[in-house]
Amino acid sequence: MKILALDSSAKSASVAILEDRKLLGEFFINIGLTHSQTLMPMVENLLKNININVNDIDVFAVTSGPGSFTGVRIGIASIKGMAMLNNTPCMPISTLYAMAYNFLGENAIICAVMDSRCGQVYNALFDVNGENITRLTKDRAISIENLYPEIEKCEKKVIFVGDGALLCYNNYKHINNVYIASEAKRYQRASGAAFAALDEYLKKPKETSSFDLVPEYLRVPQAERELKKKNNC
Amino acid sequence: MFEMVSSSCEQTEKIGENLAAKLSGAEIIALFGDLGAGKTAFTRGLCKGLDVKNDVYSPTFAIVNEYKGKYNVYHFDMYRVKTMDDLYSTGYFDYLNNGVLIIEWSENIESILPKDAIRININYGEKENERILKFESVGELNRI
Repeated sequence: MKILALDSSAKSASVAILEDRKLLGEFFINIGLTHSQTLMPMVENLLKNININVNDIDVFAVTSGPGSFTGVRIGIASIKGMAMLNNTPCMPISTLYAMAYNFLGENAIICAVMDSRCGQVYNALFDVNGENITRLTKDRAISIENLYPEIEKCEKKVIFVGDGALLCYNNYKHINNVYIASEAKRYQRASGAAFAALDEYLKKPKETSSFDLVPEYLRVPQAERELKKKNNC
Repeated sequence: MFEMVSSSCEQTEKIGENLAAKLSGAEIIALFGDLGAGKTAFTRGLCKGLDVKNDVYSPTFAIVNEYKGKYNVYHFDMYRVKTMDDLYSTGYFDYLNNGVLIIEWSENIESILPKDAIRININYGEKENERILKFESVGELNRI
């Protein structure tokens, strides 16, 4: 089974193709938000380089959020465009869940954090133990202060991942057993989304048609949504 | 902080044009002021100073206009933006650090403006057509 996965949910962008459990190829760039110009050429070149036709893809996967408003839409729209042709099944994958896949083989709590500005992060916690990933929280928008006690409580080593990792790490680094992912493993990758899609697909082949694929935005809590008042951040 | 007095729409444009020369390409310029104060005139001048060839008009309905000049310019009008969800769905956060942002009706998003934003209040003066432009949080900019 061949899976093509895309990620353009935040500042980096990547494309990966799997054949069963083998990663045939992956492109990753991290140069800011130019996804509308870079994503499709990456797809085209990756297909060309590994000599696969887009019609041979069995499942399309995409990080469907949380993430940047425009970035997530670009990823979803691109996948819809490719999947509609043959009505190929699609798998939306949480951006935070895809990040946890960078750490298979570890024994740690993965704290996936994306900076959503104003002291807020998109976050989820995962317990990774060898090849198993257990989700500990749902995807949520949470303030850095409110996340703190949860990290303090963790009994295992905690690894911060995502574009909010440094922000959290700098706030929490006096807690014992807290680490930041290396730059090479810090961001969500299309390969993570592809492996997550493969696992989900094999577990319960609940296909999403390209027509039903929608962005999963997380709302910032109501109380913190006041824009007019004067507390600069 | 400093103030400048404009006695006409043309002069307000000129002040905007002069500010353009001081920009490095990633600033946020937050405009405050009532209807008719001259926010769009100021923006028009600023864009002229950045060699923008497009027509510059208030994006009241589009919310953001994109112009190409010496730098990319993103011209926002926050008049209809009331909640964080509204703001998020304008793509505002995706535009940050990718060019010059100039924001009309900054009153509506005041709590999330970054500290280093250049804040400009445009108020009516005593004489007809007179406007007082008050520049705040301008860092090393001490005059135009």
